[in-house]
Amino acid sequence: MTQQKKIFVRTDRCVGCQSCTMACAVAHSRSKSLFGAVFETPRPKSRIYVEWVAPDNKVPLVCRHCEDAPCMHACISGAISKDENGVVKTDEDKCIGCWTCVMVCPFGVIGRHLETGKAYRCDQCPDRDIPACVDACPTDALVYETVDIYAGARRKYAADELVTGQEEPSS
Amino acid sequence: MTDTTYLIIGGSAAGMAAAHTIRQLDPDGALTVLSDEPEAPYFRPLIPLLVSGKKDAADMAMNGAGPYREAGISIHTGCRAEKVQLPERTVVLNNGHTIAFEKVLFATGSRPYIPPDLAGADAPGVFALRTLEDARNMTMRLEKTRHAVMLGGGLLNLKAAFALLEKGVKVTLAVRSPEILSQLMEPEDTGRIRSALDAAGLTVMTGLSVKGIVADSRGVTGVALNDGRELPCEMVCIGKGVRPNVEFLKGSGIQTDGGIVADIHTACNLADTFTAGDVAVTHDPMSGDRIMTALWTNAVEMGRCAGRNMADFPTAYTGTFGVLNATQVADEPFVSMGTVHVTESDLEVHRSRTDSAYRKIVFNQTGDRLIGALFSGDITNAGLYRYVIREKMPVSSFKQHLVDHTLHYGHLAMA
Repeated sequence: MTQQKKIFVRTDRCVGCQSCTMACAVAHSRSKSLFGAVFETPRPKSRIYVEWVAPDNKVPLVCRHCEDAPCMHACISGAISKDENGVVKTDEDKCIGCWTCVMVCPFGVIGRHLETGKAYRCDQCPDRDIPACVDACPTDALVYETVDIYAGARRKYAADELVTGQEEPSS
Repeated sequence: MTDTTYLIIGGSAAGMAAAHTIRQLDPDGALTVLSDEPEAPYFRPLIPLLVSGKKDAADMAMNGAGPYREAGISIHTGCRAEKVQLPERTVVLNNGHTIAFEKVLFATGSRPYIPPDLAGADAPGVFALRTLEDARNMTMRLEKTRHAVMLGGGLLNLKAAFALLEKGVKVTLAVRSPEILSQLMEPEDTGRIRSALDAAGLTVMTGLSVKGIVADSRGVTGVALNDGRELPCEMVCIGKGVRPNVEFLKGSGIQTDGGIVADIHTACNLADTFTAGDVAVTHDPMSGDRIMTALWTNAVEMGRCAGRNMADFPTAYTGTFGVLNATQVADEPFVSMGTVHVTESDLEVHRSRTDSAYRKIVFNQTGDRLIGALFSGDITNAGLYRYVIREKMPVSSFKQHLVDHTLHYGHLAMA
């Protein structure tokens, strides 16, 4: 089975520009344009969040599509399932807005849409080759890759650092 | 009915979660689920939505929804276990059949508690909303109902109350305690929810002592109070908690203590017997106390753990908080988890009220561990609080974020 790609976050490269959150909200709007999205009701929501940790770390947070997703098992209405690509999805028709998923997600990446009363989260942009957030990131802080390839690349960087004594450029 | 490798008694949250887990780990072992309800397994928490008309029974089916997608599970509805024979490993059913098994899971759940001294509880129009059948019967009574009285101020009754309100029924919540939701919060924590209930048109009467239900040949006509008053109504819904279904184990040698006693691996006291869900006595990892909970999410978690143990993948069950609930009543979301009853304790408690939210954050006596959290209005990132409580994380490096409700995963990742 071919391994599916996931969104990886490199906090050392994030500059906190919020390009990803903007691109995500637009990608999940009806109009698919920033100008149109701003005027839509219900308001399109970003499913990725960029948080800040002292002294000056920016931390993009997005659904990890957990192997054994706690939200999926906790859901009391059967609204959350995992598709054949390993993407954890919330079925809006089945969601009753009880927020049990919010209560059990240890990453805090499930949003509550107050206008629709439905939970929402990253869907890895099923209609795009590359998720909108990854596409929009100007510093490659977001990486869309398979676990094997991403982990291999990280190991190679670490080995290169050991050998040359030089850190990989952070941006 | 054929003999089976795995026998699951009970076809709701714990039983079905166990069945699907077993099927994933052991694709071939014969797997049989018995359910005493006439319907195929369904998401029980959704039944108030049948009353309100927002969902029909087909929308509630477990099979094929969420993580419940495994094939090869033999489900028998309308089957109740009457007697368990150990060490013979057989179960006698209500239809007279006997099934032999190698391993068994007792996941028989719980049933509504009807106070034995409550007169008139069997009159037409009196319900305890537990099953799809109850919900259907309640729906059929709707056209005769102008006013419904809900006895008990717990979450289930609140949800039922809202379903009835949506159908245009006048609803009174009659509560014996000084405040609603007393299992999930303290009186001072209910302010926002009470306002939301008032705004939604629900009448709440607290500190009430009910004498009995009054009925004539057509069914319930009112609720009599001990102070002499009577609340005229055409429907009564009893929500006074639940009791575990353990009677079928009489004479089996399985240890019970209220519910069925589970060890750390969800096993009962006799070989190859397991238990999970509402019927199981488990433990609270915070206090170590033996507890029983009646919560879908807990039942699924314990059922999955039992499934792994039955399929020979030994897995410890970490227990659950005595209080763990998220929901939304009217437009007010709230989450309550861990230790939230703090009156007359020496715990470190932080409360905050704003126009849009109320929260109560509870630390242990020494203030270095989070042990409870209650959010009303804004439940953002509640899952992180649960994680911090459950993992017993030292909180000193991010404590102010916990108190201020500014915590996000970045703080935990970099702690």
